[in-house]
Amino acid sequence: MLSDLLIRLRALFRRDAVENELDAELRFHFDRQVEKFVQSGLSLQEARRRARLTIGGSEKIKEECREARGVHFLEALAQDVRYGLRVLGKNRGFTAVTILTLALGIGANTAIFSVVYAVLLQPLPYRDASQLVVLNEQTPKVGQVAASYPNFLDWRAQSHAFSQTVAVCSIGLNLAGVSQPETVSGEAVSPAFLSMIGVRPFLGRDFSASEENAGTAPVALVSYDLWRSHLGGDPNALGRTITLDGRSFTVIGVLPPNFRAPDRTDVIVPIGFWATNNPELADRGDRRDMEAVGRLAPGITLTQARAEMEGIAARLAKAYPATNDRFGILLSPIRDKFVGNMRPAILILFGAVIFVLLIVCANVANLFLVRSAARTREMALRMALGATRTRIVGQMFTESLILAFLGAVLGLALAIGGIHGITQLIPTEMLSGATVNLNLPVLVFAAAVAVLAAFIFGLVPAVHSTHPDVQSELKEGGRPATAAAKQNNLRGALAIVEISLALILLVGAGLMTKSLYRLMEVNPGFRPERVLTMEMNLRTQQYSKDPAILNFWQQLLDRVAALPGVESAAVATVTPLTGFHSRSDIAIEGMPPAKPGDHPHPDVHIVSSGYLTTLGIPLLRGRTFTDADSEKAPRVAMINLMVAKRYFPAENVIGKRFTFAEAGDKNNWITIVGVVGDTKLYGLANPARLEVYVPFRQSPTSGMQFIVKSAADPTALTSAIRGVVASIDKDQPIFAISTMNDLVSNSISTRRITLILLGLFSALALILAAIGIYGVISYSVAQRTHEIGVRMALGARRGDVMRMVLKQGVTISLAGVVVGLAVSIGLARLMSSLLFSVSANDPLTFAGVALLLMAVAILACYVPARRATKVDPMVALRWE
Amino acid sequence: MPEPRMDLPQGTLDLLILRTLALGPEHGWAISERIHQVSSKVLQVQQGSLYPALHRLERRGWIKAHWGTSENNRRAKFYELTRSGRKQLEAEESAWKKLAAAVAQVLGTA
Repeated sequence: MLSDLLIRLRALFRRDAVENELDAELRFHFDRQVEKFVQSGLSLQEARRRARLTIGGSEKIKEECREARGVHFLEALAQDVRYGLRVLGKNRGFTAVTILTLALGIGANTAIFSVVYAVLLQPLPYRDASQLVVLNEQTPKVGQVAASYPNFLDWRAQSHAFSQTVAVCSIGLNLAGVSQPETVSGEAVSPAFLSMIGVRPFLGRDFSASEENAGTAPVALVSYDLWRSHLGGDPNALGRTITLDGRSFTVIGVLPPNFRAPDRTDVIVPIGFWATNNPELADRGDRRDMEAVGRLAPGITLTQARAEMEGIAARLAKAYPATNDRFGILLSPIRDKFVGNMRPAILILFGAVIFVLLIVCANVANLFLVRSAARTREMALRMALGATRTRIVGQMFTESLILAFLGAVLGLALAIGGIHGITQLIPTEMLSGATVNLNLPVLVFAAAVAVLAAFIFGLVPAVHSTHPDVQSELKEGGRPATAAAKQNNLRGALAIVEISLALILLVGAGLMTKSLYRLMEVNPGFRPERVLTMEMNLRTQQYSKDPAILNFWQQLLDRVAALPGVESAAVATVTPLTGFHSRSDIAIEGMPPAKPGDHPHPDVHIVSSGYLTTLGIPLLRGRTFTDADSEKAPRVAMINLMVAKRYFPAENVIGKRFTFAEAGDKNNWITIVGVVGDTKLYGLANPARLEVYVPFRQSPTSGMQFIVKSAADPTALTSAIRGVVASIDKDQPIFAISTMNDLVSNSISTRRITLILLGLFSALALILAAIGIYGVISYSVAQRTHEIGVRMALGARRGDVMRMVLKQGVTISLAGVVVGLAVSIGLARLMSSLLFSVSANDPLTFAGVALLLMAVAILACYVPARRATKVDPMVALRWE
Repeated sequence: MPEPRMDLPQGTLDLLILRTLALGPEHGWAISERIHQVSSKVLQVQQGSLYPALHRLERRGWIKAHWGTSENNRRAKFYELTRSGRKQLEAEESAWKKLAAAVAQVLGTA
């Protein structure tokens, strides 16, 4: 075995020496043979001739000796690479076009795959993340809702499907004692949270089991970023305090730098402390910001866990009908929390770039076919000289690999730009901490795509041009007519594939365009122009009493309204298209009492008098709130048109009364004073809901949106408003500052990004397909120059020639369009979740796209068709 | 593509080469000449088969090569049997004899 290795290594590294020896050995043999013939009486010349005849081709013997020595593969590869580079260097135009086309395909694939990897594939930084399940509650009426803490405690006590379950409650806290007051967000969690997901603090300690109990001291784990920015990255920061909501929290630990949660996490506090200070958590009907996370017990599947939780939900519904009737439990893999609603869009875009890559491959394969037609004689010569078919196919495939490799290198450069562009497009919060970049798995993917592409575009022409049929025809002399016809069929088929793929992409882009257009035409029920929104949460001790809260909001409203450039201002618990909205059951006077769960369940908005004016929501009947609707005045409300239509269809609703059923106070009637238009609270694509508005002075609330309508650019008001807030309370932070226009545009960002990228890819596909069919037709015109010349000499007119060439193009395009339409009908359904008020098989879109593609294809054929009409019969005839 | 012009049954060439080299180091041309003569001019080893076979045997470590001076005073590549080559020869020889005897027996009785 050692000799084997030595011989192989010597052959590889001392190539020249080995080759020389082989030469010398064979030359010696030849000379001895000649000598022998001479001795037997032949002339030297005749002896040489005979020797040559008996020995045969020395190149072939050498090739077989090399093979016998076993370095053949590596050596052949090195030879092929050198040869390939030389050939590619000679055909600069071909090489450049091929590499550029491949770079576009590989670059687009790499860029989109980097998103696929970051969002869908990258392992979450948890131990066995696939076993982690998020639990929420759900009702048939509303769908998913938050969990209540008492329900969570019962789940944990009763379930066996989970080895561990923790409560996670999203919280926002006001951080004071820093240069500019700010709001930090995070979670209040059961103490086992971190150990269950398998995260250890970077510094300090995890929570202890006792910190689940009421009355524990305020402690916090802070994020790595907060530790760096607010604690100076000091390793001795443990034990120091930070001021949250006006209270000192002891920092007991720092989260690791790679910690990821679906939402922004600056601090984590134990649920025991949080529940003590937020007594509403003890209310079983209070479902706001909490969900549970469980780790499936070994051997338990999600389906089994679902079945068990269903039983528990049913038991709880029976035990607590007032709060739990018809509430189910919703289980979803933790990955879904991170992916959000991006999955279908990402998968569709990934599919789209794969199509682009296939078109690229078809195009390059076509280029290869043209070139291999020109090289058929070269191949024939090499085969005649003893090269095996495998060897030649391998050699041509090496050329493909070189091209794919160069294309991949350029493609990576394009991908870096593309990734940059895509990350600019995607709002940060949608990524939930995922980083989209060019990492090792993405590079491996790019390499795999390049090799795969080389296989697709390289192997077909290589196998084709060395096919014995092609070769034998060549040997028989003249032009291989049937082979050429066969090749033209292959090229035509490739063009059909390209056109049908391009059509599928165009259909997707067309459907998205129409959806987005329809979506932007939707009347949101409010006027977003020149409106600035921001959030404030009065959380410190001084706001523990209602008058203090009301006083803050009233001062803010009065002072900001007096600012120059402000048209109107309002506080509200709602801004359309953002966050969560609180809902409540109501009981209407004079209507039979409803069963629990059957009450009207509208969104309840607490707003100041300027809300309708500021957001441009129309008042349809009655009156809006005034300053007279104060805490001392009789309770009043406005309802939206939907409530009026559904519950008071035939009567004048003004003056009717209702009460919040949950409050149970039948004497605390609320009088309806106005009816307003419906608003699209949950996104432009979602239906409006039942809405009830109550005046803020009659329901004092510490967390409110502050909404300002400006006479000009609303963002210009930001610093003035900050000044007003600071003048009332210098420690009060403002957060989530945004214009209403941005909120509207963010609400459709998934669709917009999908459309932009899909549009880009389909435009690319259209161009590539046009180039593809152009190539096929113009090559065929060049091949048929002689025939066209004959036809014209026999009296065919230019129009006839033009028609003949165009007919070929139209046949190919029509075939592509028909195939593409058929496949589109099947595929378009996959994107129906992204469509809005457009059928996945919208006939107008399909027809429009088909027409567009036909027009472009015919235009691409027109150029070579015109060239055909310019053929001079005499020249063409003499050409033979 | 024509197949190598092999007049010998598959695998026999290796045996013949090893047997020839058992008599002493030889270069390629002499090996083919000796086989030709010893077989009373029945067996003609083509160069196209001989050299690949020599290189293959060398790689397997059954023969080794060195450059020496030929009978007519020229540099030639001589091959000689290695120890493992000798073992291989014994094994192949007995296998061949068994095979030949068996074939002869079948032909004789049938």
